[in-house]
Amino acid sequence: MTLTAKANPIALSRLRARPLEMNVEQRKAVEEVVYRSCLALDARDYKAFLALCDPEFRYTISTYSPEIRREMVWLDHDRKGMETLFTNLPRHNSDHSPLTRHCTVYTVTANGESAEVVSALQVFKTELDGGATELFAVGRFHDTVKLAGATPTLAKRLVRLETRLLGYGYHIPF
Amino acid sequence: MAKSAADWTAPPNFPATHYVDSRIYTDEAIFEEEKEKLFKPSWIIACHESELAANYDYRLFTHPAGMPLIVIRGEDAKVRAFYNICPHRGNTILYDPAGNAKRLTCIFHQWSFDARGNCIDISRGEQGYQQRFCKEDAAMREVRCQVAFGGFVWVNVTDDAPGLREFMGGAMEILEPYMVQPMEVFHYHRARVRTNFKLWHDTNSEFYHDYLHYFNRITGMMQPGYFDRKYTGFPNGHATVGSMQIQYDKYEGSKERAVGWPGLARGGWYMVDVFPGMTYNLRTSVLRIDTAIPLGPNEVLIEFRGLGLKSDTEEERRQRVFDHNMIWGPFGRNLHEDLLGVHGQGRAMRRGTDSRWVLQGREENNTIHDEVGMRHYYAEWSRRMGRPAYDPYREGKPDRAFQTARAAA
Repeated sequence: MTLTAKANPIALSRLRARPLEMNVEQRKAVEEVVYRSCLALDARDYKAFLALCDPEFRYTISTYSPEIRREMVWLDHDRKGMETLFTNLPRHNSDHSPLTRHCTVYTVTANGESAEVVSALQVFKTELDGGATELFAVGRFHDTVKLAGATPTLAKRLVRLETRLLGYGYHIPF
Repeated sequence: MAKSAADWTAPPNFPATHYVDSRIYTDEAIFEEEKEKLFKPSWIIACHESELAANYDYRLFTHPAGMPLIVIRGEDAKVRAFYNICPHRGNTILYDPAGNAKRLTCIFHQWSFDARGNCIDISRGEQGYQQRFCKEDAAMREVRCQVAFGGFVWVNVTDDAPGLREFMGGAMEILEPYMVQPMEVFHYHRARVRTNFKLWHDTNSEFYHDYLHYFNRITGMMQPGYFDRKYTGFPNGHATVGSMQIQYDKYEGSKERAVGWPGLARGGWYMVDVFPGMTYNLRTSVLRIDTAIPLGPNEVLIEFRGLGLKSDTEEERRQRVFDHNMIWGPFGRNLHEDLLGVHGQGRAMRRGTDSRWVLQGREENNTIHDEVGMRHYYAEWSRRMGRPAYDPYREGKPDRAFQTARAAA
């Protein structure tokens, strides 16, 4: 597979970066934040998800459209925006099919008091009626994890989607 | 009291113009007829001129009637459209959905074409065809093409169909003053939904379903002026919806759309529903365009575009993107609800479910919860199809039942 800067600029820059030293325990702690964020969102436990996030947290979903040959942002919120999105959910009519996020941390690059983390993401959707599961989306997490506190926190999450056809969409971010 | 089987299948007690037989959403033969009678003679939005910014930029588009098209800007800056079918062996010429190509070369046997549809090279042409067939015989099939109404590229696959302006019948006059400045597409995505394309257009043609949207109830329905918005029908099945002032800040997490739109009143919102399956939706800071491409009687691919102004500053564009995504992106509050709504209709109307009628009987002086927008559409549908939407198989029951009911009343 050829990676082009246009198609996936962030991924390319990560590939070029030389990771700084990070011990196993530190890396494990960073990975755990990423994995716990998936578990929390899978469980629709938004409190638990936000507890993993820094006060300066920023969440973005972006993708590249080969049709219009442009980068697109599909969602962009700060922490307050994410809180409001979650608070408003019960007021909306939504697809209730549960999502299962399957994530694998690929690289963790320490950068002083934070780490840049690239993870593969697959999102599966399971129909409530009958339980059939389908692959809903693939993409990557590009996370910035703060290491300064007692436990690492998510400072930034960019969900870089490859999948752009999402059926009738979804109200809860990945 | 719940209905018996007989009650359920009996025509509704409305004038026949106020309901449709739900079999028009599921019948394969009707769907094939729609492609011939509705889509082929109509002008359809293929893309926006900003998607073809430079000479030789091209964009692929699958016409709702089925033809794969290439839309390309020539060396003379004129936009033209052709079948994406090689006249040699019927192969696909271009594969990538967009790009820049001075020569359109079919990979199969390397026949090449220019941006005017002329064949410019046949590999070993003379050796194989001698004088019997030459480049002049191998031109691409050109499709009528016009850039209009906000810089959109409209195509028509029927040579002798009426012109675009005649087709629009004045419906675009409500929006034209707001589409003077050059625009630019910043958002594109598709949704593939198991439903009939008309049901999506219905959703865009009535606002009674604002009950589905918390966002619209809070920012619109509960605000002054909402029930004054009016539908206006135009020739050829198009309809427009008048404006009001949307109170975006009433929804927590949203805020007043400060960036606005040139000439449009604060919080303004106009819509134009274009027959048979397109919608212009100018909502304060963003223009959204829907193009429905039916894949079958119970499956539709909808193209969604979001546009801002070409002159936008970075901050203005960022704000428009935010406004767009809040309700209209794939993770937006309203679009998911709308698509869920028509998905539900598609699910309930599949063949064999015994779904029978779709009511369009609300009359409120053509205001926002009146279902006149849909009635106007189906009057045109019936005219073009040569069969009434309320009685598509001419079984004669609906009329008789209505007359009986009226007589009894």
